[in-house]
Amino acid sequence: MKVRISNIQRFCLHDGPGIRTTIFFKGCNLKCPWCCNPENMDYEIKEFEEEGIVKKWGYDIEIKDLYKEIMKDKDYYQNEGGITLSGGEALLQITKYEELLKMLKKEKINICLETSLAVPEKNVEIAMKYIDDYFVDVKILLKKEAQNILNLNIDLYQHNLDLLIKNNKNITLRFPVNKEYTSKQKNIELIGKVLKENASLKIEIFKTHNLGESKYQKLNKQYQKILEISDQELEAIYKALKRYTQNVKIIEM
Amino acid sequence: MKLYLRLIYRYYRYTHNIGKTILFAIKAIFKYYSPSKNLESTEQLKRLFKKIEIVIPEKGFVYFIDIHKTITRKNRTIDNITIDYEFILENSLNDLRKKAQKMRNQDFKEELIQTIEAIELLIDRIIALNIKNNCIQYIKNIKDKKVLSFEDALQRILFFNQLLWQTNHNLNGLGRLDLILEKFYQEDIKKNKITKSKATLLITDFCQALNNYYWVKSNGLVGDTGQVIILGGLRDNGTYFSNELTEIFIEVIKKLQKPDPKLILRVANDMPSNLLDMALLSIKTGIGSPLLSNDEVIIPKLIELGYEKKDAYNYCTSACWEPYIPGVSFDQNNVDTFVYAESLIQVLEQENLESINNFAAFYKKYEEYLERSINDFIRKVNRIHFVKDPLISLTSPSCYMNEYDIGEGGAKYNHFGFTTVSMSNTVNSLLIIKKYCFEKKILSLNELNKIRKENYGRKEYVEKFKKEKNRYGVDNEEVIDLTKKISRKASSIFRKQKNYLGGIFKIGLSSPSYITKSKFPATLDGRKNNEPFDVHISNELASYTEIINFAASMDYGENRINGNVVDIMMNPIYLTNNMEKIKTLILVGIKKGFYQMQFNVVSSEMLIKAKSNPENFKNLIVRVWGFSAYFVDLPESYQDLLIERALENESKN
Repeated sequence: MKVRISNIQRFCLHDGPGIRTTIFFKGCNLKCPWCCNPENMDYEIKEFEEEGIVKKWGYDIEIKDLYKEIMKDKDYYQNEGGITLSGGEALLQITKYEELLKMLKKEKINICLETSLAVPEKNVEIAMKYIDDYFVDVKILLKKEAQNILNLNIDLYQHNLDLLIKNNKNITLRFPVNKEYTSKQKNIELIGKVLKENASLKIEIFKTHNLGESKYQKLNKQYQKILEISDQELEAIYKALKRYTQNVKIIEM
Repeated sequence: MKLYLRLIYRYYRYTHNIGKTILFAIKAIFKYYSPSKNLESTEQLKRLFKKIEIVIPEKGFVYFIDIHKTITRKNRTIDNITIDYEFILENSLNDLRKKAQKMRNQDFKEELIQTIEAIELLIDRIIALNIKNNCIQYIKNIKDKKVLSFEDALQRILFFNQLLWQTNHNLNGLGRLDLILEKFYQEDIKKNKITKSKATLLITDFCQALNNYYWVKSNGLVGDTGQVIILGGLRDNGTYFSNELTEIFIEVIKKLQKPDPKLILRVANDMPSNLLDMALLSIKTGIGSPLLSNDEVIIPKLIELGYEKKDAYNYCTSACWEPYIPGVSFDQNNVDTFVYAESLIQVLEQENLESINNFAAFYKKYEEYLERSINDFIRKVNRIHFVKDPLISLTSPSCYMNEYDIGEGGAKYNHFGFTTVSMSNTVNSLLIIKKYCFEKKILSLNELNKIRKENYGRKEYVEKFKKEKNRYGVDNEEVIDLTKKISRKASSIFRKQKNYLGGIFKIGLSSPSYITKSKFPATLDGRKNNEPFDVHISNELASYTEIINFAASMDYGENRINGNVVDIMMNPIYLTNNMEKIKTLILVGIKKGFYQMQFNVVSSEMLIKAKSNPENFKNLIVRVWGFSAYFVDLPESYQDLLIERALENESKN
């Protein structure tokens, strides 16, 4: 069995606790305008040109080879570290790599997942058997805007999130903050409400940036520059969320 | 005259000012003195010590080198070593004289006694100046008293160290000072003669004294002094040794923020966690100290090669990193540098490439040329002979035992060591041949060689070849196997032969010559004509775990012990934000078995600024091949290489 990925990044220090290997899966259901990994949006492997050389974004890898690559750093993972499934949307291909997760659990390797939860419920159910820590995107909770801007079915998202919460999973919400799309008062209130209703949730907030621009150019995709928010504005949102939970943290991504 | 010119060159290299250098040269010519090299070596010592200018400070350690006066020798000088300071501290000159007088070898006995007299002559000159400095008493003690205190011990080390520099020995290591000084420190503590803070002040003064004459002491580049202090390390019962002095040395060097002296910390699985924390905090400042030397790998390999157990556990280094046992070794570990890529170019230029149909056939040719090349190299180095060296013999217990001068086989170990360069460029070139000519069949060998010979006129190949993922320093079986295969082959050829003292030839994967030896044609890995070779065990495109896994999977057995350094570039902010995780990386690396590791903690941004505005960055320290130096003192080629590596590395994070 093969999965389609764009990269395996070893010695990652920011995608969860300890030393980690992060796997970037290809393909995502969402179309977030600020996405800084546009190469992972499409499942198809696209070619691009760089300094006169034709390169490909993405490749298929056998599960056994992926496992072998992950295991190269097993000694470094120790108790805390492990692997992080990222993307794209890592859960879209989970049926293809369930066997990998099984093998990693057998080796007692910690598994983190970065997900938008915009996937069928059955995929989340598979994940729940193996994943230790969840980093769940929380972007726009306003139903219509979520659909129009992100292509996100908010009901599906809510349902999947509830499922994880109900099963007492360790969840950290990740909230990308930018001027145009996510920092509206109403959105903040809805996020606050989720936090208030579920005391176990943690939330990390960060500014979106424009670092993905060159990738858009290489991919011939239209790029829309995002208006970054100031430190003070981020601080204000931090304070607003603090009203709902103590588990809020500003991070850099 | 040669040494006079060397002095002028070193001054120019340091000042970069022609006017100042001319003035210096004129003044120096009147002060310059070197006894005739036709004289007996002990007579040379006497004449030199009679003439040198003595400079005594009003207080503090006595440490002076008359840079205008030195010794010239008929043949190559023994240097790049760490003398046995423990032996020096245990024996006054009188004690040494008594040992010498018991000898049956009259010539060597006479040589040692004359050397002692030469040193006494210098000591008497110092005493006769009648300067009130309490350290003069310590100098006096050298004649006939054992070391009486911690301060006395430090002064005695400094005195013998200055004698080495004065007599034209380059790259002088300091040895395991935390271990050697422990006895004196503890005794003084017990007698309330000293406190930890007083010891810290003394060690600070000691290090500052050693930092003097920085530019004169520097060998290959400014900063290349070999003044390495070795700290910590496994005992032969398997436990880890370190003490308060280990910590003091690390703290002092961190605080001084000077590139010299440098530290090597011997690391092991069971070392105290806080010691590694301290080392990392020092590394974080960017001074490049300490280099980490992995006892878990090095000691067993030394024993395997034939070093006695107690000697292996007591290893120091020859200057930068080559393991060296003080007191019992002649081992000249930096005799010359072997270039792996030379045989590759020979195959490409001398063979009919059309007749080579597969990679195995090409590789076979490479090995044939490698064998020839190594044999030629050995023939060349076997013409090198080292002179007798009474001063170093005086400090070597094994010379007393064997009753021979160290240059004539008096030591227990009489090996030659070589550094090697371009293993990485060779492995990468071979992998390019394999992929492009025989697997994907995109280019014929002749076409590939043409691209190289045209110095990559077709630019796309530079980028393509340099960005190949399958390259030296990744933990991929193919890369590891190929590297080991070449290394094994080279090792076996070197092993077949002996030097003129009956010693073996040792090799390692690190070398200072990645730039100096790189006046060399383009290789097939995207490296153009005369560009530097890759640095030690490094790969800026690989993750830190990949490079450590790669290093740990190498075979350092047999004679492959002569320094194998993983060279890590790291952005200071990245390190600051991830100290605990970097510590885990190192600890796991020790267990997995890297040989040695050094860090260059610096950002590309700062290096670029320093290059364009050197006057604002006079104190910026970087790690060069195996030592720390001021960035602004380095030739442009080294500055550019560091900038390039820092940029590549940061793009990875």
